[in-house]
Amino acid sequence: MKTPEAIKEFGFWSLFFLIFGLAPILDNSEYHLMLATHILIWGMFAVAFNMLFGVTGMLSFGQALYYGVGAYSVGLLVRGFGDTWFLPSIIVGLLVAVAVSVLLGLLVIRVSGVYFTVLTLAFGQLAWQVTLKWYHFTGGDDGIQSIIPPGLLGNNRVYYWFTLALVALSILALKRLVNSPLGLTLRCIRQNPERVRFLGRRVRRNELRVYVVSSFFAALAGCLMAGADNSIHPDMFYWTTSGEVILMAVIGGIGQFFGPFIGAAVIIIIQDYVGARTEYWSLIIGLIMMTMVLLFPQGLVGEIRSLRTRLVSGERNRS
Amino acid sequence: MLTRKSCLWVTLALLAFLVLSLPVGAEEKIIKIGSLYPMTGRPGIYGLDSVDAAEMAIDEINSKGGVNGYKIQLINTDSKAKPDYSVMVAKRYITQDKVNFLFGVVSSAVGLAVTEVSKQHKKIFIGTDHASTQLTTDKLQPYYFRVSNNTFQSMAAGAKYLKELQKTKPWVTIAYIGPDYAYGHDQWNELKYNLDRFGVKYKAVGEYWPKLFAPDYTAFISTIINEKPDILVAGFWGGDTVAFIKQAQPYGLFSKTLYFSPDGGGNYELMAAMGADLPEGLVLSGRHHNNWPDTELNREYVNKFFKRTGRYPTYAAEGAYTGVYAIAEAVKKVGNPDDTEALVKAFEGMKIKLPEDPEGFTSYIDPKSHQIVQEQAIGVTEPNDKFPPAKLMLGKWKVYKAEDLLPPADYIEQLKKK
Repeated sequence: MKTPEAIKEFGFWSLFFLIFGLAPILDNSEYHLMLATHILIWGMFAVAFNMLFGVTGMLSFGQALYYGVGAYSVGLLVRGFGDTWFLPSIIVGLLVAVAVSVLLGLLVIRVSGVYFTVLTLAFGQLAWQVTLKWYHFTGGDDGIQSIIPPGLLGNNRVYYWFTLALVALSILALKRLVNSPLGLTLRCIRQNPERVRFLGRRVRRNELRVYVVSSFFAALAGCLMAGADNSIHPDMFYWTTSGEVILMAVIGGIGQFFGPFIGAAVIIIIQDYVGARTEYWSLIIGLIMMTMVLLFPQGLVGEIRSLRTRLVSGERNRS
Repeated sequence: MLTRKSCLWVTLALLAFLVLSLPVGAEEKIIKIGSLYPMTGRPGIYGLDSVDAAEMAIDEINSKGGVNGYKIQLINTDSKAKPDYSVMVAKRYITQDKVNFLFGVVSSAVGLAVTEVSKQHKKIFIGTDHASTQLTTDKLQPYYFRVSNNTFQSMAAGAKYLKELQKTKPWVTIAYIGPDYAYGHDQWNELKYNLDRFGVKYKAVGEYWPKLFAPDYTAFISTIINEKPDILVAGFWGGDTVAFIKQAQPYGLFSKTLYFSPDGGGNYELMAAMGADLPEGLVLSGRHHNNWPDTELNREYVNKFFKRTGRYPTYAAEGAYTGVYAIAEAVKKVGNPDDTEALVKAFEGMKIKLPEDPEGFTSYIDPKSHQIVQEQAIGVTEPNDKFPPAKLMLGKWKVYKAEDLLPPADYIEQLKKK
């Protein structure tokens, strides 16, 4: 018999492929295609972030750094050497992100809790400042435009399928990682790092591993976004980007593996829907956030799950 | 405490609000303009004024029956002055809302991102209020037109002003402070280029690059005071100008150094925000002035805007007003708002009489650079309370001929090579 976890996973993937697989075929709108691309990319970013926060209990406020590293690797290489460099630059971006995350990881995981958060924030902001100030190399506050993926990928529809495939593979890989012995160790670290140490597992080394993995996928999100938007901007490094991904995870539910993905979808749709209709978008989004955080602390997916549990137990009591 | 039931109501009420605010579509011949202006924060007043002025122009045109049977309609979205968000909105305008024109944009960084969308989707983008020269030189694409002046034009006028000033008040040292993005960098490079071009001898003693919308300039102000430049060129716009002048005044910066801001520094926003506190003798300009030129058209425009909104317009307003009239003119010539290639031809070389045109001059769009060509006037702050709440306005005008201010071919080549 299948476990509830397996049923949930099956449910997510069926919904995922039903919506993202059929939507572009049934709906011809270029705009909806772009929204879907954004949801996929941010969704992956949020799930990767949650590997740190929800799974391991490390609240990084600096994942924008890797998102930016990915985007700028693509942007700078495409600007410098032409659009044929688009695909190789994704690989370069991922390698750079891994290198940077190993180096910074060794520094930031030496501390935990709020110190870890502040340190990651500091490095993120440092990268932002460098990008902003290095006007002649990065284009400063102007960002970089005209990042057009080459050949077939230049077509929005093809690019969408490309993104869908990469995102699906990434989330699948992350899910396998969570279910692996490493995933178990990470969850134990969240609950009681001391005990993990007593059991003979290395806390720091595993924290570094998950930090690098999360950063790798954040960079992939940045690379994909550069091709989706065709332009990049230093704000991708800014703390608000890190903040946004935290909000997505919280809204969706950090205790659930797929929660952050749903959170990303909800936030992007709300932002777009409200932003198109009123300039008081920030007020509306703020109210929704407040309602969510105060009243549904487990996030959307978490609340739906507990609601189901309550209903089921209610039925049992009645019968 | 709120219960789960009451939170359900809150959520439902929010949803109801969102659904009710859905626009109801009407089937008629319309020219749809999709604008992107910042409506909040420091650049907010630019967006508010631009939208009000664009709507004023639209009402004027529609009340006379529209253009060739088409009514003009404007939809605006707060750009949040963020390039990535603006790209998303611009794509929505084109693919979902099916606009005929992209319109607006205050920050040049947003302008650079949106012109890319315009190029890819072959949709005309009318720039009304961002001044980075790059958009009409090395980053120019066939579907972009700008109906307000660029920084090169302001800086060429500025260099001429400084050259004349040297005769009456000999100055040698010059320093620059401006926002650290295309708009700020373009101004300083172009001023130096033009000073050299006009054979002005000067010594640059410092350049300072705060971030756009930086909250605090005191560190820069102390350094500038130590450097004691004869001229301080400022490349600020909007709330940044107001914040800088407010912060620099207690240090006595303006008594030691001539403050010179010939592109966006002379916006009416500054005069309105500072009232009697605005120092006298600052040399400023902007893309439109409420008290220059003293023509019937300008007076009428300023008064109409005041009647409509209860405030006097900042220069951003005139850019948007011009943009709507330029679109109407192009559609009138072509007959419909859908034939993009014919519209491009109609914009190229278009002549259009504007509130900011002095007697005997009519603005026109240069067919090669897609840049509007206009006269520039630089003024000095002096007491004038005809436009409250301002207590000082610009006066002692010096006017520079439009044709003398365009970037020479070798300068454009130089930009392209970069």
